Amino acid sequence: MDSFSSPSSSSPSSQMSAEDFMDQLKVQLAQAYAEEFLETVRGKCFDKCITKPGSSLSGGESSCISRCVDRYIEATGIISRSLFNAQR
Amino acid sequence: MDALNNPQLQQLINQEKERAMANEMIAKLTSACWDKCITGIPGSKFSSSESSCLSNCAQRYIDMSAMIVKRFHSMQ
Repeated sequence: MDSFSSPSSSSPSSQMSAEDFMDQLKVQLAQAYAEEFLETVRGKCFDKCITKPGSSLSGGESSCISRCVDRYIEATGIISRSLFNAQR
Repeated sequence: MDALNNPQLQQLINQEKERAMANEMIAKLTSACWDKCITGIPGSKFSSSESSCLSNCAQRYIDMSAMIVKRFHSMQ
């Protein structure tokens, strides 16, 4: 088996349909977006809520983190709607 | 499937690219406006000053962008 033969010269069943390609593209974009979003929220909420790291998460820190995540998601919606309304 | 020779696929890919770029702009702006507007500990809801700061922030960014382009062009 020639390991250098190009994929496009192999059988049709090993090629991907355009639809499958787009599905995979959308899934990967969504995953990348979700990872980036989570990383941002981690940073923001760590700054706001964990001011003096103790030997475990306190109740105050935990509820701050919950609220922080909710507020950040809400902020994303506010910014998104504000941008959408400003553009014609 | 050869993506480069398929114009319909190219168009679908471009749509996803635009969507991704719009999402990135929203993400960057949300991060910057959060830092400017949410100065204290996050509450169980935004105060009215916090939420108006956030929406103002996005709109002022748009105004600023237009102003920058205009100024840049006036210097050429």
